[in-house]
Amino acid sequence: MVKFYSNTYSYDYNFPAVSLAYFLRYPNPYSRHVASTDTIERSFDPETQRLTTVRLHVKQSRLPPAVAKLLPKSAVGQDQDGRAQSFILEKSVVDVREEWMETESKNLDWNNVLSVIERHTFRRPEEESGTADHRTDVSVSVTLKSRIGEQLRKRRQRWGEQATATSVIGAGGEEEPVVKQGWFSSWSSGAVRAAVESISLQRTERSQPKAQLGMSVVLDRLRQGGIQAVLEGMKDDRELAP
Amino acid sequence: MSASLAPECNEVKERYDTCFLKWYSEKYLRNTATTDECEPLFRQYKTCLTAKKALKERGIDQMLEEARADNKDNDAEYMKPSGR
Repeated sequence: MVKFYSNTYSYDYNFPAVSLAYFLRYPNPYSRHVASTDTIERSFDPETQRLTTVRLHVKQSRLPPAVAKLLPKSAVGQDQDGRAQSFILEKSVVDVREEWMETESKNLDWNNVLSVIERHTFRRPEEESGTADHRTDVSVSVTLKSRIGEQLRKRRQRWGEQATATSVIGAGGEEEPVVKQGWFSSWSSGAVRAAVESISLQRTERSQPKAQLGMSVVLDRLRQGGIQAVLEGMKDDRELAP
Repeated sequence: MSASLAPECNEVKERYDTCFLKWYSEKYLRNTATTDECEPLFRQYKTCLTAKKALKERGIDQMLEEARADNKDNDAEYMKPSGR
């Protein structure tokens, strides 16, 4: 099962400002949990004027208690305080001529629990709308997929195949391979997976408006005092970090 | 500026970020960029992240590898000819 979130909205700022704010959006008052941001790859194509960037964000995260309850600690990689680091790999392409930006972010370390892929498109509105110089349209989609038990299912599938092969050969009467019972058996029921996905979807529905507010703060700082104002704001946000 | 995950790279990262923001806002967004002028600084920054094993020590290089392998898996899954 996969859960899907999508939304569209606009910022009352032109495309260049929004694309710059995207690169400058962490930290902001709505995302003080972002501990670091590093650029890992960047390439500029003079021909197409497209700029491709890969960044790695580290967030201090806490698994929602409702999810943590469903999982053994070893499956989550949390420390004793229940804090975990989330690594987010973000790829973006900016086309300054056509005035659009596409981004895709992947959550890396919840991979054994949950895979989250978030996509954004920022675009200058059509000329006819008359707002092209002071508006940017955004569409966002988030795909959530629980990966609990994926490996286990694969293994079982293989066992299943072997068992079938054996019975064809005519060994007959053989017991099915013994699968250790315990909390593993609940994985396969799919109930935990569904619960993790539902809880995560609720979280996404709450966190998306916050991400939007964070961008608005950065855009406002840009308008007030340019990049300098954004950097000063960041410094304050960092000092306030938990 | 945002921090680097490797504190030892903060300084070179800040120099690169400053260069990039200036280039991005003054050249790229004005459609007058011909080359990525900050590339030499980026190479220094990247050297710090990789040569000092900043990523490796934190097990991130392996995670990146896995993310890439995962992508390939998914691609293979979706590219599979359906039926026949």
